[in-house]
Amino acid sequence: MFVIFLWLIQDFITVFTGGSARIPGLFILGLVYKIIDDTSDDDRLSAIWTAFAGGLLWDLRWVGLPGFFTLGYVIVILIVIQVWGLIPPQNRNSGTGIIIFILLEISQLVPPLVPVLILGGTTGWQFFISQQLYALPAICFCMYLFSRKHTK
Amino acid sequence: MDSRKSIEWVHGLTALILGLFLLGVSSGLGITKSIVDLWAALLFIPEYPAAMLRDIYLDWRSWSRDRDNLRAEVIKLRAENADLRRELSKITNEQILELSKQNTNSARVNLRAPMSWWNEIRIDRGSQDGLNLGMPIFQDGYLVGRVSNVSLMSSWVELITSSSFMIPAVIEDTRELGVVAGDGEGNVLLKFIPAGHGLLSGMKVSTAMIGEQLAPGLPIGTISGQAGNSADGYTTYKISPGANLTRVYTVSY
Repeated sequence: MFVIFLWLIQDFITVFTGGSARIPGLFILGLVYKIIDDTSDDDRLSAIWTAFAGGLLWDLRWVGLPGFFTLGYVIVILIVIQVWGLIPPQNRNSGTGIIIFILLEISQLVPPLVPVLILGGTTGWQFFISQQLYALPAICFCMYLFSRKHTK
Repeated sequence: MDSRKSIEWVHGLTALILGLFLLGVSSGLGITKSIVDLWAALLFIPEYPAAMLRDIYLDWRSWSRDRDNLRAEVIKLRAENADLRRELSKITNEQILELSKQNTNSARVNLRAPMSWWNEIRIDRGSQDGLNLGMPIFQDGYLVGRVSNVSLMSSWVELITSSSFMIPAVIEDTRELGVVAGDGEGNVLLKFIPAGHGLLSGMKVSTAMIGEQLAPGLPIGTISGQAGNSADGYTTYKISPGANLTRVYTVSY
């Protein structure tokens, strides 16, 4: 339910800006956060298919060709599951700040890269820099939430 | 643990393959467009507030930009209008000056009493020559004074240096309005100009439109310097009259 809300918020902001601004991928960010935040490993499979569905719906709404964000979101979730799975659950709450930051950052970096990697194109480094800058506050907020919850 | 990882991999790879499959085949499928349109139609309601907000924002930005442009345009037009007014008044004043110089009605000064040397003169033309009370009197096209008393064959002219002489005047270059007044000691002053305009030396001064008796645009002289500042924020300037008031033998009207 929470990720559906994030998807709609992301869509709302994109409509509001007319697609002109680099909107942070709130949906995939929320999904990645959910995986990191959840100490049990139960919801990982559902996360893969939620990412698939979210990406597919995003493609249908904003790309017009299904597949790009579908692949991007699934790749992100697979990376996150594998990397996060390497850390023993009892060690996930301390000293993992930089890993969490990198995983959250990957969620913003990979999906826009997929169309460029598949189709090629002239998307410059400015695109990614601006995308990361817009996403940075949301990433920091996620890290703050994580530290607040797990420090207690 | 390993079986869980394997299941995750299976699901992940399935999702990836499905994604690639969609990417590969969807471009060739006509139904994709229909689905895209249907999905956009379904999202119309949740997206409506965002679209409305965006329209409001764009309208406001457009209005704000238009307003700024209009304001800049008004400022520019005002400045342009002021320049044109200045040019027009200069041309008008030059024409008046030329007409004054061409004026053939001349009169001779036949009395200038030492007791009222800077206040008045008497000329040898009166009402029978067409002179009336308040008429301007010139020397070389510049204002000397105005008729203050008329008899049949002679008239008294109140000089611009007289302490009782006060007429509205305008600085031609800045269009600032003030009052030209004499001090009874040979000086002509331009009073009540708001402070902060600096020196203004060399600028021409002529009668203003708000004068009741004298026509506008009659040349008086040029500003020669500052005479002082008043406590209420006004500057008084000295005027060098165009007429030579120490050598007034003949005048015109």
